Amino acid sequence: MSRWEYFLKRLLLTVPVLFLVITFLFIMLRLGPLDPVAARLGPEASGADAQAMRERLGLDAPLWEQYVMFATDLLTLDGQSWVVQADRPVTSVIAGAAPPTLWLGFWAILLPLFIGIPLGFYAGLNPNSWGDYVASVSGIVWQAMPNFWLCVMLLAGLRQTQGGGWFGFDWYALGPELRSITGTPDLDFLRWGEPVGLPMPTAVDWGALAVDIKLILPPAIVLGSASIAAELRIGRTAMLETANANYVETAKAKGLTDRVIVWKHVFRNALIPLVPVISNEAFLLIGGSVIVEVIFNINGLGRIFFQAVIQGDLPLAGALLFMFTLIIIFLNILQDLLYTIIDPRVGYER
Amino acid sequence: MSGGPIEDDRTLVERVADRPGPALPWLGAGLVLLALEFGRFLGWALSLGAGLRFAFDGIVAIPGWVGGNVADTAGSLAGFLAQDLTALVVLFVVASVLVRLAPWRIVDRLELGWSRKREAYAERLAVTAVLAAVASALAFTPAGSILRFELEVAAWLLESVAASIPTLTSPETIPNQGHRTPGGGWEGTFLGLSPAVAWAIRTAVVFAYALACLVWAWSGYDRYRRHYRQADWTPRDDTVRRLRNHYWGLFGLTIVIGFVVLALWAPAISPVPAEANIYQPYEHEFEYLGEDGEVASITHGAANINTRSDGQHTVAPLSYDQYDRFAPLGTTPRGQDLLTNLAFGARTSLIIGLTAIGLGAFIAVVLSLLTAYYKGVADVLTVVASDTIISIPAFLLVMLISVIFSEGNHPLADPLDGGLLLALVFAFVFWPGMWRAIRGPSLQVAEQEWVDAAKSYGQRPTTTMRKHMSPYIAGYIMIYASLLLGSVIIFTAALTFLGLGISPPTPEWGRLIDQGQPYIATSSWHVATISGLMIVLVVTAFNALGDALRDAIDPEADVGEGEETGGATTGGGV
Repeated sequence: MSRWEYFLKRLLLTVPVLFLVITFLFIMLRLGPLDPVAARLGPEASGADAQAMRERLGLDAPLWEQYVMFATDLLTLDGQSWVVQADRPVTSVIAGAAPPTLWLGFWAILLPLFIGIPLGFYAGLNPNSWGDYVASVSGIVWQAMPNFWLCVMLLAGLRQTQGGGWFGFDWYALGPELRSITGTPDLDFLRWGEPVGLPMPTAVDWGALAVDIKLILPPAIVLGSASIAAELRIGRTAMLETANANYVETAKAKGLTDRVIVWKHVFRNALIPLVPVISNEAFLLIGGSVIVEVIFNINGLGRIFFQAVIQGDLPLAGALLFMFTLIIIFLNILQDLLYTIIDPRVGYER
Repeated sequence: MSGGPIEDDRTLVERVADRPGPALPWLGAGLVLLALEFGRFLGWALSLGAGLRFAFDGIVAIPGWVGGNVADTAGSLAGFLAQDLTALVVLFVVASVLVRLAPWRIVDRLELGWSRKREAYAERLAVTAVLAAVASALAFTPAGSILRFELEVAAWLLESVAASIPTLTSPETIPNQGHRTPGGGWEGTFLGLSPAVAWAIRTAVVFAYALACLVWAWSGYDRYRRHYRQADWTPRDDTVRRLRNHYWGLFGLTIVIGFVVLALWAPAISPVPAEANIYQPYEHEFEYLGEDGEVASITHGAANINTRSDGQHTVAPLSYDQYDRFAPLGTTPRGQDLLTNLAFGARTSLIIGLTAIGLGAFIAVVLSLLTAYYKGVADVLTVVASDTIISIPAFLLVMLISVIFSEGNHPLADPLDGGLLLALVFAFVFWPGMWRAIRGPSLQVAEQEWVDAAKSYGQRPTTTMRKHMSPYIAGYIMIYASLLLGSVIIFTAALTFLGLGISPPTPEWGRLIDQGQPYIATSSWHVATISGLMIVLVVTAFNALGDALRDAIDPEADVGEGEETGGATTGGGV
């Protein structure tokens, strides 16, 4: 089976999964214990209002018709928010909330890569040293810390630094000045122009960029905390395993220097088990963004989902959940494909 | 066993009866331990009975629910038919379980000469018919309500017995609630000691008792192994030995046991009764020495208003409030005792975790046995179903389902203020992960010769799965159950932190963090900090225990290092 046949097969397998996801959401949102009319109008709604709403939502139509409508609405993201941003189309709500979440996710993936992997490789190259113990134990504890608690503690610590506090620095004044350490980043650091007739970024406002980065750093660290620990642990094991491999012995026997061995032979092979961890991060980010965005007051997708859920905005919540599911399904396929490219030994018959 | 016959056909009970020497002291110690805390054990059994009764009522309600739904769409006659049909299906399932549990077979006595399959089904149908007759007799004659009344009276009697028997660790035996006397001493406390010392003694007794129970259980296993087991050595001995030398795992086990003791003995470890301090604060009074030197009495609710740890006024850990109540970990921003909240919150977490993981593991094990044994369509269907559930972000799914059910006022959302609902949702969300984790081992064991031999010998598939495949999988499911328990605790706390999940007054750790959040940088730092550290400690311990179990059960394999468990141990980024 060639790589592309495998890819096609995986794509075909997503069809029943998507169908089941839609059916599940339909059962939960339409037939579940929460009456859509009550969710839209409040529990006291009755009489003509409720009947008009039933007709508007199509709840009197036969079940299969409702199902088809529901499925097409989900697949085309063609619905309207009920409460959170009343009567705005779902697509425009998502488009408005996506940039801060993407910005947060970008940093939450980048930071662990530059903290977790080097630390893990360091621990793996110096096994059973004090540095190794400290790194490993703090990784384990770091992983067990719930994100919401980390957020709360970090916020309290940073707030305490205002005007010099416990730690001897003032986070508000350090670097670019911030008025509040929570809030949504503006993300308008790019200057747009039309030098060749098409709109494209022409310059970067470095001050605005710095503010945006500084605003996103604390939540990104928290959101990436689990990944830091996972990458540390797996980086360490991968390094230990490859360092004892036969081809490293061979390279040593060939008289290669330690530097070349580490960078050319050990490093490349140690990266393989890290691939699923890094793509797994998308999974963690989607779940974690709700908590982090709610606590840090970032108007992103996670916070919108939270508001949609607690305010009973069923179409928005359903659409967001469906979109997240789509992202995860396709990231999983991408990960498997990437796996076969990086590591030719991985078979397709799993 | 030196000198014993190699093929020993005696049962364990017979072997003990033949040589009661080592077993008798052990049994005696067990009886003493039981007698010391009999009232508490009776109370646990009664709450378990209440839980079973709730489950029973739920199952009984299924036919009516199905019938009602069908009647809504297809008319009342179809509704009645569907109701009766569902009732028969439920009774058939119950009959199958009963037949399996019964020690002898009716059909074996009759010698009908049918095929085995036919015999088995005929037997189950017969039992179903008997059950249906009994059930309709209970439902349509007064016998049912009489029986229910009798059961309620019996439960009430047992409850009053459980409440009246003094137990070693009850706050009545070692009371720590008292008040200062104008003379400077204490009144109402254990031996007139200060409440702090009385509370410390009671907590120490609880943990000593739990330790004694552990020692007793271990010595039982040891005696069994040395004196009554047929084999000199079994592979499980090696597992236990590896576990004993795994210090990281022993650390985890210690903390986990401490957590379980905290949850089980929550009423004994709490310095004030939860009923008075949290659930019904305005219906319970206590006495204290007022500033004017007079002993006055006040309700817990009124006192709590003045003992809030809200930044301005703080009742710090290891201190007394102005009403002579000792708070070992301080008070919450609502003025309640923090340790009482933590202990009963541990109970909430433990109940949710055990229910969720128990149910999820059961589904995962049954499905993995079926898919490994039959493969084919069953396997494909399970793969698609588990892929579906896994690809929906777990935390968001739990959020959505729990809100839909609690906003819709579904009866499942009532017990434990939403705890049962959460447990069911977790079971639904987590079984695919567990099923995937044990899929490898169960496929492996299905390929073994002994399974093949059992098949060709003509053993029934269910017996083969139960006797020859499930023991091999049991160890693996324990690993993932331990790792996932940490996730369940984090998920529950995070949901409650967000104001979903478990609603007041049932205590939960996440709510404590939410309440203490504004005061971390003030003198009331302890509320959110201590609760958070408890979560970190317990989750780390469950992870450590899971790691140790993995190393002990399967020292060769490095399965699950990272790839499989990475998602499980992190709590899904929450």
